[in-house]
Amino acid sequence: MGVADSAARRMAQAEAAAQAAPPPPPRRVVSPYNPANAVTASRFLFLPPFAWAVVNGYHQWATLFILICGVLDKVDGLVARVFDCRSAFGELFDAITDGICFGFALILVAAYGWAPAIPVACIITLGVLNTSMRMVYARRAGRAVNYKSYAMERIVAYTGYLVGFATAQFEVTFYYWVFVPLMAITIGHDTKRMLLDSIPPAPAPAAPEGAR
Amino acid sequence: MTTELASQTVFEWFVTILTGGVAGAWFVYDVINLIRVRRADGRDPLIRDRRFGYVIGILIGLAGVLGCLRFHDVV
Repeated sequence: MGVADSAARRMAQAEAAAQAAPPPPPRRVVSPYNPANAVTASRFLFLPPFAWAVVNGYHQWATLFILICGVLDKVDGLVARVFDCRSAFGELFDAITDGICFGFALILVAAYGWAPAIPVACIITLGVLNTSMRMVYARRAGRAVNYKSYAMERIVAYTGYLVGFATAQFEVTFYYWVFVPLMAITIGHDTKRMLLDSIPPAPAPAAPEGAR
Repeated sequence: MTTELASQTVFEWFVTILTGGVAGAWFVYDVINLIRVRRADGRDPLIRDRRFGYVIGILIGLAGVLGCLRFHDVV
């Protein structure tokens, strides 16, 4: 009898505690059509004028267009923070845009003889390898997730500069050959983390403005 | 829009200042970051990743400055 009483009391206390606790905040859904992704997408607009400048041999114009493309890469992160519209899709979209813009630009400058072909081939191959491993990582995690790597952030920024060095004809051979081993070491390091190490848990969903 | 934006000399110095400035600042920034995490727990994978990233950043910064010096035949 006493045991049944204490069990009933515990159940009643648990129910009361559950009713008193505030409900969990609803999951905030960020639309993919947000200002940050618009800035990211706008980077594609600079590829046709960049190609025009390279094809016609205008080094300074080509440098300007790739510089704007690189600056917009930084601006989209700032816009995402200002408008509070960060999302997993936005991070992936940003990474994909980096790959397309800088990959296209690197191939173009190599095709027109502004950059050495062998390091560019190595860089493109390593970039494709890294993208494939990111897809494996997302599959291992079971969700759309961008792999966070401090070293790769720096390597991607250097990639943008590489295109600028080619368009400006600024110590091109030196910068390209220095870059290849740095990128290879970074991808070797990230490969271990993406394929072998444990995956951190998914971050908690963002609460809406009113719930903060 | 059939001509370039500036004279070759101005353009070369613009690229030098931009590259050298960014690379130098980057070098200092990552050295400071690396010093800040030197006492953190090295068994934490995130800390190890940060340290590795800062070292790569320092090397990139060094390469950037060295490239500028090479371009102007200083080294």
